[in-house]
Amino acid sequence: MSGFFAGGPADGVATVIGALLTLGVWAYLLGERRFFRLAQHLLAGLATGYLVVLAVREVLLPRMVQPMLAAPAADPLLWVALLLVAAMAGAQWLPRTVVVVPVSLLVAGTAAFALAGAVAGTLLPQLGAASVAPGLDPAGLVAAIIGALITVLVVLSFLHGAPRTRLVAGAAGIGRWLLLAGVGGWLGFLIVSRLALLIDRLGFLVGDLPGVSR
Amino acid sequence: MTEDRTPDPPASEESELPVEEPEEIAPAEPRAPGSSVGGGWLLVLVLLAVAVVADRVSGGSLLPRPEPNDQSVSTAFRALAPGALVLVAVDADLGTYPEIRPAVRAALSDLLGQGAGLAFVSVSVEGRAIAVAELQRLRASGVSGERLLDLGYVAGAEAALVRLTTSALPGDVEGPMASAVAAAGGGIGAFDLALLVGGTDVGPRTWVEQVGTRLPELKMVAIAPTFARPELEPYLRSGQLTALLATVNDDAAYAGTVDADTAPADRPAGGAALLAGILIALLVVVRWLLTALPRLRTGQAPAPELDEG
Repeated sequence: MSGFFAGGPADGVATVIGALLTLGVWAYLLGERRFFRLAQHLLAGLATGYLVVLAVREVLLPRMVQPMLAAPAADPLLWVALLLVAAMAGAQWLPRTVVVVPVSLLVAGTAAFALAGAVAGTLLPQLGAASVAPGLDPAGLVAAIIGALITVLVVLSFLHGAPRTRLVAGAAGIGRWLLLAGVGGWLGFLIVSRLALLIDRLGFLVGDLPGVSR
Repeated sequence: MTEDRTPDPPASEESELPVEEPEEIAPAEPRAPGSSVGGGWLLVLVLLAVAVVADRVSGGSLLPRPEPNDQSVSTAFRALAPGALVLVAVDADLGTYPEIRPAVRAALSDLLGQGAGLAFVSVSVEGRAIAVAELQRLRASGVSGERLLDLGYVAGAEAALVRLTTSALPGDVEGPMASAVAAAGGGIGAFDLALLVGGTDVGPRTWVEQVGTRLPELKMVAIAPTFARPELEPYLRSGQLTALLATVNDDAAYAGTVDADTAPADRPAGGAALLAGILIALLVVVRWLLTALPRLRTGQAPAPELDEG
């Protein structure tokens, strides 16, 4: 059972619907695509509907409309936000020069936060953590040197088109293989992750549905 | 007009002259899911289902329960004072949440057992759906409303996280937890620990980058699907994350240490089923390699997969 409906009839209905949809998606493996497409459309429709409801109920109404109605002059930025929302909503009909303003703000704002965060929160701390510092134990020292070496080799593998000596070309080749090895290792994690999901669904079908393990 | 046209050759000529048929090049036969692999998939599903049933019937004792390699999650939770404020940032993905659900529910149970109050917040749409469901489940299981706080969904991804550092309380929340957060400044800094439930793009890494840089004293514990471990492990090593659960084994080991009344949906994937699945995956990889290597050696591309779904 899902545990979300305290064992009532809704829980039973949710379980049966979940089981039918799971079987519908798996039917794709046996060549039956109609149920799979139905499940896809259902997912897309529900996701869109949910997104709209969430945006209206938890963002637009409480954070923009209600404050504006309560005190229209309290926060001028809300009016700016309303204009930007209107420009985005009417993008299909408005001139491109108008629509480009909210889109540019959105992209630039996101990029600024993401880039600053990546530099301050990932690049610099990780460089600091991976660098060879005094006081490291031998194992840490070896790990830091190997890490730095792998980083250099992988970065060299991205030197496409630049003039390269034979030594650099060889190092770049090693870097490419190291990169592939890294991707392979990550795929191994991915397989285990997906396997856990498959087992969860099987457990749901053979355990929760017929009540084997209740 | 019609006279200017070049007359068509008589039909008889066509039939008498030997016409050399162009040699048709047979395209590589695409493999449609269900045509040749359907039976194989069915067998895989049946085998895994048998392993799952065996796991469940045996109560998970077919294989020894994994020992926790790392106690840092338990240690971080035990270090909390009774009545501590914990921020649960749910930004999991609906598709991958089932993998970490047992560990997340064990962690919530563990924190409630320590006497902590839990405040839920999401900056991703999917995470909000999961947060609402988990809040509903906790309330239905009898957890006092005074120990739960819903901070809702905050739009804006990275920008939302930055705003949360100074202002996390929506206008319409009240209660003892909300008062405590407001008294401590109203931002994320009011919390003693943040439990980051990852899976979407805005996950623990984004929290470390946006919140960790602004509130370095905030302890952050992350739970994420296995595929996110290579991405998150460096943050654990550098100390930016206090603790991390990001493998099925670690999840199962941690959930096993929490004394909770586990519903079937809260149980981690069984060891026998996982082992069977890994063996099957290895067989599939070996089979693919055996068929693909000779073709790769001769430079022949493998047949493309047909995906019209």
